[in-house]
Amino acid sequence: MKIKTAVLASLAASALLAAPALAQQKIKVGNLLDLTGPTSSTGKISGPGKIDAFAWINANGGINGKMIEADSVDYSYQTQRAIQQYKKWKDDGVVAIQGYGTNDTEAMVGFIAEDKIPYFSLSFSGHLTDPSGISPKAKDGKIKVAPYNFFIAPSYSDGNRALILWAAEDWKKKGGAGKPKYIHLGDNHPYPLAPKEAGEELAKESGFDVVPSIQYALAGGDFKAQCLALQSSGANYAFLANTTGANIALLRSCATVGVNVQFMANIWGMDESGMKAAGKAADGLVQVLGQAQWGSDVPGMKVFRAISNMSDPTGKAYRPLPYATGACQVLVLAEAMKIADKAGKLNGPGIKEALEAMKDFVPFGTVGMCSAATWTPTDHRSVDKVTIGRAKVSGETEQGEVADLVEKGTVKYEVLTTIKVERKPGWQGY
Amino acid sequence: MNTTLLTQLLVNGMIVGALYGVVAMCFVLIYKASQVVNFAQGEFVLIGAWACWWLVATLKLPFWLGFPVCLVFMALLGIIVQTVVLRPLIGEPVISIVMVTIGLSIFFQALLKWMFGVFVQPFPQVFETKSVQILGLNVETAYLMSLAISLVIMAGFAYFFKFSKMGLAMRATAFDQQAAQSMGVSVRRVFATAWAISSVVSALAGVVVGLVSGVSASVATVGVKVFPAVIVGGLESIIGAVLGGLIIGLLEGIAQFVDSEYLHFGNLITIAPFYAMLIILLIKPYGLFGTKTIERV
Amino acid sequence: MAGSMRPAGDYRTTYQSDRTIFPTRGSLIAFGIGLLVLCLLPLQIGGQSLVASYWLALIIQIAIYGIAALGLNILVGFTGQISLGHAAFFGFGAFTSAYLSGKHGVPVALSIPLAGLATGILGVIVGMPAARLKGLYLAIATLASQFVLQDFFNRASWFTGGASGANAETFNLFGLALSGDRKYYYVVIFYVVVMYLLAANLMRTRDGRAMIAVRDHYLSAEIMGINLTYYRLLAFGISSLYAGVAGALMAHYTGFVSAEAFDLLLSINFLAMAIIGGLGSIMGSLLGTAFIMMLPEVMQGGVKFIQGLGIGQSAAFNEGLAYLKEMAIGLAIVLFLVFEPDGLAARWRKIKAYWKLYPFSY
Repeated sequence: MKIKTAVLASLAASALLAAPALAQQKIKVGNLLDLTGPTSSTGKISGPGKIDAFAWINANGGINGKMIEADSVDYSYQTQRAIQQYKKWKDDGVVAIQGYGTNDTEAMVGFIAEDKIPYFSLSFSGHLTDPSGISPKAKDGKIKVAPYNFFIAPSYSDGNRALILWAAEDWKKKGGAGKPKYIHLGDNHPYPLAPKEAGEELAKESGFDVVPSIQYALAGGDFKAQCLALQSSGANYAFLANTTGANIALLRSCATVGVNVQFMANIWGMDESGMKAAGKAADGLVQVLGQAQWGSDVPGMKVFRAISNMSDPTGKAYRPLPYATGACQVLVLAEAMKIADKAGKLNGPGIKEALEAMKDFVPFGTVGMCSAATWTPTDHRSVDKVTIGRAKVSGETEQGEVADLVEKGTVKYEVLTTIKVERKPGWQGY
Repeated sequence: MNTTLLTQLLVNGMIVGALYGVVAMCFVLIYKASQVVNFAQGEFVLIGAWACWWLVATLKLPFWLGFPVCLVFMALLGIIVQTVVLRPLIGEPVISIVMVTIGLSIFFQALLKWMFGVFVQPFPQVFETKSVQILGLNVETAYLMSLAISLVIMAGFAYFFKFSKMGLAMRATAFDQQAAQSMGVSVRRVFATAWAISSVVSALAGVVVGLVSGVSASVATVGVKVFPAVIVGGLESIIGAVLGGLIIGLLEGIAQFVDSEYLHFGNLITIAPFYAMLIILLIKPYGLFGTKTIERV
Repeated sequence: MAGSMRPAGDYRTTYQSDRTIFPTRGSLIAFGIGLLVLCLLPLQIGGQSLVASYWLALIIQIAIYGIAALGLNILVGFTGQISLGHAAFFGFGAFTSAYLSGKHGVPVALSIPLAGLATGILGVIVGMPAARLKGLYLAIATLASQFVLQDFFNRASWFTGGASGANAETFNLFGLALSGDRKYYYVVIFYVVVMYLLAANLMRTRDGRAMIAVRDHYLSAEIMGINLTYYRLLAFGISSLYAGVAGALMAHYTGFVSAEAFDLLLSINFLAMAIIGGLGSIMGSLLGTAFIMMLPEVMQGGVKFIQGLGIGQSAAFNEGLAYLKEMAIGLAIVLFLVFEPDGLAARWRKIKAYWKLYPFSY
């Protein structure tokens, strides 16, 4: 009995400790991560990026001297968990939130607008880009007006459009005869589906034959059957809309089957650690690049080394692409908070105002790492220049760490071109 | 009709189905011997894959050494799980046994993700040629090896149950635990042996999957595919399990064919086995090869 | 089970006294006081809330999941059937209520019971195999229906909004919006009390006793004139009705319904709640739900306390914690089944009996 009482008492004590700490004079920000869910292969890289960026801002004076208290929570890519977490954050009085997935962000658009909480997301869904309801999509009621949603990156749709434009050029350059075939591959999930309409529409306009899409699970698996169907569809250009983890599996399966298709992936579709896992199968994949590869000779790299050092004082860690893509969202939010704070309006509307006044803005001068972003009160398509690169895997990747493989040049990205995707009024909102 | 695609999908389905069959065999072995439905079967496959991967890729043991070590480890794990977790539950209702193996599966899944991360990890190449051509389809050597190995294992099982003393003891135990015990069969040893064999063969399947598509948490999904296979084949027949696995593999191939050629549903391949399972349960609940002991109520 | 835990000298001489829900005046008073305290919790006195919003949210979730767990307990604990597809019913209730209130303008106060009813009907249909299957085969059949139903949620965009999910309206009663935890709390408490009393009442009727007879020995039950098929289907229907009501409550609580939430893991969690609480115990269902819901929270508190607050933000820590929580659930299931197969309810009875006779226990 004694032991039992002791156990019960300690349980009760730890339950009490679980209660939230008393409010402090800090700026509260929510930070949603997927470290254990189906997209965790990228979430485990972008997550530390966001956390390190918060730490770096605090280490460099915070928001005009005020520290940020970021509450980082893993939600396993479960929409309902994200919404419950959002409600908790709202009660805690957070000033802004760093979100994560497409489904949860799009589900919360209404709540966010009502509560006036600026919401940066790692979902760059085109559905989040109409803040005032002027786009045809919003007028038709197809998408929700999203006044408080932001991201600094080309939207998924614009990324897909840029890849189509590149593919059309590539087809011409290769001297391909007849109509090339385009196919969208992805799971039946809002994230892979987000750019589908935009991509297929532009593909049709650019002279592609659009083949019915094929599904493959976000969580990964053996996709040889899907690859056989892909091969039989005769597609020339295949857009992989899932995240790295599933794409590795698909590329490996397709390499075995011997599918001869030009694969293309969006911004979360592949990275250096994914190339290590996929090996030669990833070679030749064309992808939207959020920024220069880690360690590149760009001005922004200095700041990013400092950010990386927050969690890795040795400075040796290699950070694949999603790390900086994630960190940039935090950096630009911090810049907007500084501006809003100086104007004495460190709240939702103040931050929104600060962001919407930004023009070709690069946070903390991280040129080459974070894109130059422009927001206006009527258009949240922040970035219109899309960098397209090609994954190069030139040897066996089974041995050695990612850092070594990159250093040896076995795994690298080759920048192909930068395509400007016009901010056409008709293209807003999807 | 696109016959090339259909043939390729069927060949692929058969190869994948053979793997399902091997895992289903492990499942049935445990069920036959100890009346335990192992919902953690997929996790045993995954543990085997990760254990071998760790020995070969991280500790850099040569495959011929690492593989047997990993099999020994798996045998021990099987025995430990049986003695520590399942022995106390002998005589408890089905729901308890189902839940305890589900609990194990949740526990192992989280533990493995934590230990080995969520990235797909490539297996070091073991065979010289990665794939060969069969009926116009590239087939991994590892799959062919697994096919050969599973044939050997099946033959071994057949011999084991027909002629060896332990095999006879197992069949006796499966038929009537108390009667077997009173005839001097050590039921405890029978159970432990069944679990050891099952987890060793699971590890074998795990290594094959690992060689083909790399090791990651999704390897464990084969554990869910086992259910359609054993329901089609019947819970108590080892041959039935293998055939059930093949049928499910072929069914997946056909589903993908119908889907990509006509329906464009997208995920018929993942959901078709479960529809098949429901139908079989409704019209022929004891499966194609199971014993008809199930009571009609 | 309960009978054997009764102290000596406590005789029940009439069927009436054996069937009563509140055996003593004290237990009735305790119930009343407990209810009163529950109703006071969300109040704010002078701008200071009585209970932190964090705890309130936890109580709401325990209450909602507790209703679903009770439904499963009626099926598994009282009737002896197995279901691995309870989460799908929970989801069906959630989607139905969101659909009725969102697309057809049915008031939420009405759409919740309607969703429960619809889910009950679905439960009878899906339970059809139960008329022929039992034990393991039934478990596997319900496993299949879990996958099939979840696939349906992902596909039926007219009904569920497809993979992107559906918004659920806020609860309005006579023009009063019961949105926000502090108000919605009362809706949930109302349903919990009603559903638990209904279940307790059901178990003392002929139908309830028939279900228990089906569980204990179906052959004898049949010989005594109990229609097995009827009672198996009834159990499936009632259990799904509970799941549907709980799902609908959850839908209007979060304001959004998404198919991926109703996966096999949730079904397993429901089973864990029923088993850890104690199969065949009404109050046990609530105890089990509280245990499963509190376990991760308590662990988070404990781990954060050990590590010191500063470290609590790194990605590695967050990840480890997420896995630890999952592992704890798995481990809790295994440990309870091995060491305390009758669940928390039995433990509670033992503790009560111990103190009743203290210090002269026998």
